[in-house]
Formats: sequence, structure tokens, C-alpha cells
Amino acid sequence: MTVDELRAKAAERQQTCSQIKKMIVSRLDLEVEPDWITDDQPLFGRGLELDSLDVLELYVAIEAEFGVALYDSEMAVFGSISRLADEVDPRLGATA
Amino acid sequence: MTDIVYGQVGDATVPLRFTDLSDEYKVLRERAVALDLSGHTLIEISGPGAVDFAQRVLARDVEYLTSERCMMSLVLDDDGRVVDQVLAFGREDGLLLESSVGAGTRLLEHLRAVNDEDVEIVDRSADLTVIGLEGPYAWGVVGRLIDGELASLPFEAVSDTVWNDVEIIFARTGFTGEYGYQMIVPVESAADLWRATLEHVTPSGQEALELAMLEVRQPIPRLETAGDVNVIEIGANWLVDITKDEFVGKEAVLAAFESRQGRRTVGFSGGDTVPEPGARVLAGGEDVGEVVFAVRSVGLGTTLGLARVEAGLAAAGLELTVEGAGVTTLTSPYIVPKSWSIPII
Repeated sequence: MTVDELRAKAAERQQTCSQIKKMIVSRLDLEVEPDWITDDQPLFGRGLELDSLDVLELYVAIEAEFGVALYDSEMAVFGSISRLADEVDPRLGATA
Repeated sequence: MTDIVYGQVGDATVPLRFTDLSDEYKVLRERAVALDLSGHTLIEISGPGAVDFAQRVLARDVEYLTSERCMMSLVLDDDGRVVDQVLAFGREDGLLLESSVGAGTRLLEHLRAVNDEDVEIVDRSADLTVIGLEGPYAWGVVGRLIDGELASLPFEAVSDTVWNDVEIIFARTGFTGEYGYQMIVPVESAADLWRATLEHVTPSGQEALELAMLEVRQPIPRLETAGDVNVIEIGANWLVDITKDEFVGKEAVLAAFESRQGRRTVGFSGGDTVPEPGARVLAGGEDVGEVVFAVRSVGLGTTLGLARVEAGLAAAGLELTVEGAGVTTLTSPYIVPKSWSIPII
């Protein structure tokens, strides 16, 4: 791939990540600006410090926003914003 | 224990390996290990202005940090560069700060230099030290070693407790995504507690610990903050509370954030060799950044590292080139901790 093609591919993922961040900040009423959250930021415990009640809220929000049901998923899908992006848009598919 | 390899990390001499990196790493990720964290310096902040001082010096909000809580935070200089990453423990008469490995001298100098509140700043490393436990079954070790009730403390909860008639500060913490605990113990009792811990688990050195930290993007200050880089470029935003009214370095961090300029950090894997820090990263033949650091990953069976590249290329799933070898950028965490699927019983 050329560098411009790589930038375009990166932009696609960054766009999905940005959408997820806005959704999380809005649905969980967080004070932080969405862009302050990094794509690799952990969501539970460390990082955004979300809890199990927040997970339930996110299940509903993700299904409403992206049409993807994650109810039976392992906690690993919440390992980071970028990991969540892989789940809501499998075309990105870059899970380690 | 005759094969222990020690190394100098900043101002501390620490065990890098007790036996074998691969073995220690696997035990950390599969069962539990003991960690000699004596290279972490403990600094006591006390006096009437202690909380105000800490609130101004730490990048996260510690105003209501009680003696039953601890919190990880960055300490920044006026230019927004990382001085250290600390674990702050609330105490009755102030706070106790635990430096990252080998960074105590640098942290202490910085704290004293910005001590406008005239608080008392005391290096406690002569009389207190830290022993850690980490791994998916570390909670079981806590039960056998001290008290099973402590194992299920919430993340970053702290309990003053007693082990073998010795008062210790016990905390649920963690650096690797696995269940993690720390025991702050008087130096004169540390050897006894270490020996007692080793009746239940084997020890792990700094190399296995840092590999596991990298895999979950837990910042490793000594490897990630060299040079003229800011918090945004490191990607350690979550260790800064940008909504807080004021703290040292806030203006510089905000300026860097709002500029949307600079580089960003992304993980990568691939290649048969381990590139040195500073090795160039190419995208489509163009130079777009450099390697921050890289290691051989036991879990992935390949090279794993961090690269700092132009912001528009800091995303997972890209095929880049480092020193002629193809690498792929990654989604964090690079290894899913086993603890995420194992409940504390």
C-alpha cells in the first residue's frame, strides 16, 4: 500500500473509534471531551474506570448505534476503544 | 536462587530475571508471581498543606483520596513532560507516593523543587519497601498468605492490615491487567514477608513484568518518556485528569491536545529481530516515525513494540516496515489477560 492508502485505512478506524468515544461520553454522561480518550485506552479498572453497570448501558448503546449485539461477548471486547471498534465494524479486523 | 540477574534501572538495582524470562512470564500470565518492587521509592508528603500540594503536583484528582484508596497518576513538569508515573496512597496525615522503578531520585528532586506549600517531603525508602503479587490466581496467594477477605478488595482499594504482627499497607493494584496486589512493609520485615510469599509462588523479575505491562499498554515511563515527548504523544491521557482546575503542566498538555499536532504511539508486532529505540518506521516507503522500544514477546512469539508515528497513521491494522521487516500495527491489549475471565472465588 502507498502511504496515502495507509492513511485512508487509518482514518477509517479512527472515525469508528471517534464515534464510539462520543457514544460512551454521551451515554455515560462523562465530563471528559471524547477526543481526550485514546484508542488504546483501557475502559475498565484502569483507564476510563467504567464498572459493570456501565457495561450494561454500553451493550444497549452499541446495539442502538451500530446494530451489533455484544451481550454474550467476553470482557476482552472492552479492552480498549480500538478493540471495541473491531467488534462493531468487523471490516477493520485488526485484533492482536 | 543463585542465577538471579540484577541490573541498574535508573537509581535502583533490581532483579531483571530470577531464572528465565520466558518461564517467569508464563507463570505471571497463567498463575501468579511475586514481584520485588524495592526499586519503587516511597515518598511521604505530610503537613497542613499536603493535600493541596499533591492536588497541584499530581495530574489526577487526589483531593478526596482517603486512606482506603490509592490511584495511579502522572507527575508532570511545567512543559507537560512526564517526571514520573506514581501510585498515590491517601494517608491520615497526607499522602504516600510510590515512584515507578528507579525514578525515586528524579521524583524527589522535582517534588522538592515545586514545594511552594512548604509541606514535609520525606524519602521513606530506608524504612519502607514494596512487595507485589500479580497473576490470574494472585488472589489465592493473598488468601493463603494474609487473609482471603483482602483478595476481593475493589481495584485501587487499600487496607491497613497486620501480617505476622507487622503492620503493612495492603492494596489491590496491578500493572499487567492480571489481578495485582501490593504490600508496603517495613524494611526490617521485608525479607520475612518475601520468604513467606515464596512459599506460595515463584518470583518474577523486571523483564517479565515490563513485557506484561507492554502487552496491556500500561505505560513504562523509563522506556516511553525519553526525549521531548508530551503526554498526548505517549498516549497516557488516562493518567491525566484534564477536567481538573489546575495542576503543574496542565497548560502545556492542553496546548498539545488542542494543537492536534505531533506524533502518536501505536503498538506493532512482526519481524525476526528486535529493533533499537529510534529505528525508523516506514509506511509505503516514506519515513513516518520511529520505534520507541521493542522486545521479543513470549506470548506472541514475535517482536512486540511501540512506535511513535504521525497522528494520521496511529491506528491498528496497518502494514508498516521497520528495518526492512514487515510489521503490523495492533489493537490494545496485545494479549488478553487471563484474569479478565477468571472470577475471584
